[in-house]
Amino acid sequence: MTPTSTRSAPTRSHSFIGIPSRPRIQELRDEMLSEERVVSVEQALITTRVYAAHPDEPVIVRRALALAQALQELNIVIHPRELIVGNRTAQVRAGVVSPEAGSSWVDREIESLPTRPQDRFAVDAQTITAFRTQISPAWKGLSLEDVIRDRCGASIDEIDKVVKINQKDHAQGHICPDLTRWLTLGPAGLKAEADSALSNATGDAADFYRSVSIVMGAAQAFLLRYAQLAHTMSAQETNPERQADLDTVGKALDHIAVEAPSSFHEAVQSTWMLFVLLHAESNASSFSPGRLDRILEPYYQHDLDAGTLSREGALELIECLWLKFNSIVYLRNQNSAKYFAGFPIGFNIAIGGQDENGDDVANDLSFLFLAAQAHLGLPQPNLSVRLHKGTKDELLTEAIHVVARGSGMPQFFNDSSVIPALIALGIPEREARDYAIVGCVELTTQGNNLGWSDAAMFNLNKVLELTLTGGIDLLTGKQIGPNFGTLREYEKYEDLEAAFAAMIDHYTELMIAACDVVDRTHADILPSPLLSSVIDGCLEKGVDVTRGGAIHNLSGIQMIQAASLADSLASIKTLIYDAKKLTADQMMSALEADFEGFEVEQAIMLNKAPKYGNDNPEVDAAAAKWASYFAAGLKKYVNARGGKYHTGMYTVSAHVPMGQNVGASPDGRNARQPLADGGLSPVYGRDMTGPTAVLHTVSRLDNTLTSNGGLLNMKFLPEFFASESNVDKFSTFMRAFIDLEIPHVQFNVVRREDLIAAQAHPDQYRSLTVRVAGYTAYFVELAGDLQNEIIARTTQSL
Amino acid sequence: MTPSHPDVVGSGVAAPLPTHTPTDDALATVVDIRRFSIHDGAGIRTTVFLKGCPLACVWCQNPETISPRIEPVFFPKTCIGCGKCVEKSSNGEAIRDSDGAIAIDTTAQGNWQAIIDACPTGAIRWNATSYRIPELVELLLRDRPFFRNGGGVTLSGGEPLFRPKVAIELLRQLHAQHVDTAIETALHVKTSAIAEAAEHLDTIFADIKIFDSIKHAAAIGRGNSLVLENIHYLLTSSHREKVVVRTPLIPGYTTDPENIRAIGHYLRSLNPDVRWELLNYNPLAGAKYDQVPDREFAYAAGKNPPLYTEDEMKEFRDLARSTGVRRIVEQ
Repeated sequence: MTPTSTRSAPTRSHSFIGIPSRPRIQELRDEMLSEERVVSVEQALITTRVYAAHPDEPVIVRRALALAQALQELNIVIHPRELIVGNRTAQVRAGVVSPEAGSSWVDREIESLPTRPQDRFAVDAQTITAFRTQISPAWKGLSLEDVIRDRCGASIDEIDKVVKINQKDHAQGHICPDLTRWLTLGPAGLKAEADSALSNATGDAADFYRSVSIVMGAAQAFLLRYAQLAHTMSAQETNPERQADLDTVGKALDHIAVEAPSSFHEAVQSTWMLFVLLHAESNASSFSPGRLDRILEPYYQHDLDAGTLSREGALELIECLWLKFNSIVYLRNQNSAKYFAGFPIGFNIAIGGQDENGDDVANDLSFLFLAAQAHLGLPQPNLSVRLHKGTKDELLTEAIHVVARGSGMPQFFNDSSVIPALIALGIPEREARDYAIVGCVELTTQGNNLGWSDAAMFNLNKVLELTLTGGIDLLTGKQIGPNFGTLREYEKYEDLEAAFAAMIDHYTELMIAACDVVDRTHADILPSPLLSSVIDGCLEKGVDVTRGGAIHNLSGIQMIQAASLADSLASIKTLIYDAKKLTADQMMSALEADFEGFEVEQAIMLNKAPKYGNDNPEVDAAAAKWASYFAAGLKKYVNARGGKYHTGMYTVSAHVPMGQNVGASPDGRNARQPLADGGLSPVYGRDMTGPTAVLHTVSRLDNTLTSNGGLLNMKFLPEFFASESNVDKFSTFMRAFIDLEIPHVQFNVVRREDLIAAQAHPDQYRSLTVRVAGYTAYFVELAGDLQNEIIARTTQSL
Repeated sequence: MTPSHPDVVGSGVAAPLPTHTPTDDALATVVDIRRFSIHDGAGIRTTVFLKGCPLACVWCQNPETISPRIEPVFFPKTCIGCGKCVEKSSNGEAIRDSDGAIAIDTTAQGNWQAIIDACPTGAIRWNATSYRIPELVELLLRDRPFFRNGGGVTLSGGEPLFRPKVAIELLRQLHAQHVDTAIETALHVKTSAIAEAAEHLDTIFADIKIFDSIKHAAAIGRGNSLVLENIHYLLTSSHREKVVVRTPLIPGYTTDPENIRAIGHYLRSLNPDVRWELLNYNPLAGAKYDQVPDREFAYAAGKNPPLYTEDEMKEFRDLARSTGVRRIVEQ
């Protein structure tokens, strides 16, 4: 029982996975997934028109007016079986163009959107014509994308093999709004706050409050449009069951447009509408609900106590919301889609964990959320379980049962690592304990923090390459960086380290300069009054969130990728300086040739040097040392909003394109091959000592290095979850994970396809172990017929 | 299957010549250390496979652990054919055959350390590593954070008690650190060794494979009188509650209902409440015999029987239960 909530004490079994989904869920799911993704310029046309009509208004007001007009004009749709309604387009999963953020890239890529390699969208001729004639010309030189290019495009290009600067052609996103504030005040209450502040405000603050007032008035009208549509549809509906649904939906919307939710259904509807509105304003990745089990629990418990809601009914509403989280995706440019492949839209929900006093918060909703994930198995929401010493076995076990289903969710966060890391960043303890996650794994305080968590990715492996070559790009032979020496010249390992440090400093300086311009340009071009109204600090200060209105203003830089770096450094140190199995010239010649004709040298680098991920303190220390060096270097900078830079260790899918930028490396990796995935994970197949050794390795990284988020991927065969006894052992494994203070882990259950892939690419699966009855073996070392037998058995067990 | 890579993972003592049989009781000969073992006892365990066994079951799942010697071993799948080994070979240890492939004769005498050092891929390795006992204890305790809810260290092999002083000292040091200990033994060792080891053990997995001593000798190389004597000792001693008797189900060798019944009747006569586990046949072991040139697997290629199905396993357990042994372990 938690002191802050006297009604949430679990008193009986909380496994709700056994409650069947209601029929409408399957119907809605199938309908949503069968709809083609299309490009939509509907809102872009409105925005372009409104900007043109108000040339003399400040940018923030133009943006507010454009959003308001869109909320009034956009086609809206209610599907007859929906209980939770709303979207920013009439279509589901449409790719919305926001020309104020980026239109030049759309101009370049619009024809290729249906055929590009990653994240395709259909686009019709009419849309292309509308874009080319009415939208694109109006934004030439004026969009965020173009302004950033004018201001610092050349310097971003100069460093782009080393640093990827993000958020250059879209709004920032990556934020956890104060959902409780929204639920309590609603659009009417927030508008009233802005109006009241406006009467005493002048200058920028007056523009800001006026803009908030405009968008909140429009938000209220938007809710009422949906209410009206529901009533109209109800009047025409002949099926009494559907009519009743539509009436419920209409009444809920009528109510939340003017007052705080009075039921769980209304609270869920209101929650979803906030995210629709945020996407309508920003069209950005990763607006995250945060600790939704905690936030919605009072509404749930109220209805349960009043007898107006059953657990089955709650689950149905939750599943309707879950489907909605899958109905918005986000249109990225082709390059960005490589780094963030597969629509990680980032509706991240954190369940469980500690409250402000350190007590466990898990409640019925935590379990219902897990059940919804188990039933639907869809990519959104990104479900995260916060673990701590006080996490009850019941929740952990249930989460493992959901993991065993193989959707990769939930992922796990560790309070014992995250909370101290946030406190070390200067976050007050109570707020740190109430942390949530945005996007994939980015850590945030709730409702008051523009974390700018994907500011940039810094490729430490490319920096090492330039340190070995004297600034020459191994892929092109061109001089792209400064010459601080070469491996052939460094007499001692320490000489290499000194040059590496200097090279890191050099690129850090250039990266920060670019981040600073991007940050300021967002403030100039994309002020976000609607978002600001639900980020604590902005309304109080009268300052837009993009200008530093939030209470916390961070910028997160991702280090790519510690495991690959540690392996390369261990190889250099062991083979050249310690054991002297290779000369510097042999190694460099091998790298320059991408190992062609140097197969023996490559084998030595792969096999005769220790590797990260095997609980080898020396290698692991190299990863920790350089990650710490990089993070310390950021401390001297302040971002454009007056906040700190800090670091994360996660890649999303960036280890692939980042690897494409790096030549052959001393760890034995061929040119252009992927780097280690995850961010904390070892290179594929190099963790030969088992999962516990991986955890020990990762635990050697100081948890302040991942205050912006860390990501550890692990793979297990389905057999690990096959019996309750193994689930218990897995739970034991997770308890040690908590004690080892590792920030994050997510599990992929190895599928039949993976085993087939392992037959084809044994080098990438060297660490995959299988157990049948008597002993454990490495899968790739088994004879083909035995591999086939295991594949056949794996199919059966799923 | 997967000996440690001495120059990569462990910091083990340099391996002596292959013909050398370690006798120094301060040194343990380790084929592998397997962390996150979830099948060799309660909880999450670290299992250490010690080299050397007095028996030689024709179905042995770890045939590379039978010989107590540290030997070179060759994994052709890992070989890239560079020929560095041929350059270091003086006695026919490594040759390039007519079709260009590398052939390794691991039984030949030669300078194996130089050959292994020269091999860039680890295709040629030592099949075991020597560790000083305190160093080994440190490695086995690395996973201590995971040793909760019954987890700990399991000694396996080989026969872990093949060198009793090494095993007992290892167990003593582990127990002194309050770590849960288990052993997987085939029991063909001196009773005094069992008795002393049992003082430092929490769980004893003890095999009885074949009850008929003549059949036992035919399949395993020796009769079973010592095994039965040791079972008698364990099940009547103060350690009786620590014992889990195991019978591996090897088609055609141990699976005769008469054999299961005879074992069961013997166990019931000693202690009807002993835990008895029937282990499913593991068809994977055959793959390891390529690495052990002087041993032949019980089944010819293509004749390797499959795993027993869950229904068949249940029949075996029912048969076992019919003998009057009350605690048949379910997997």
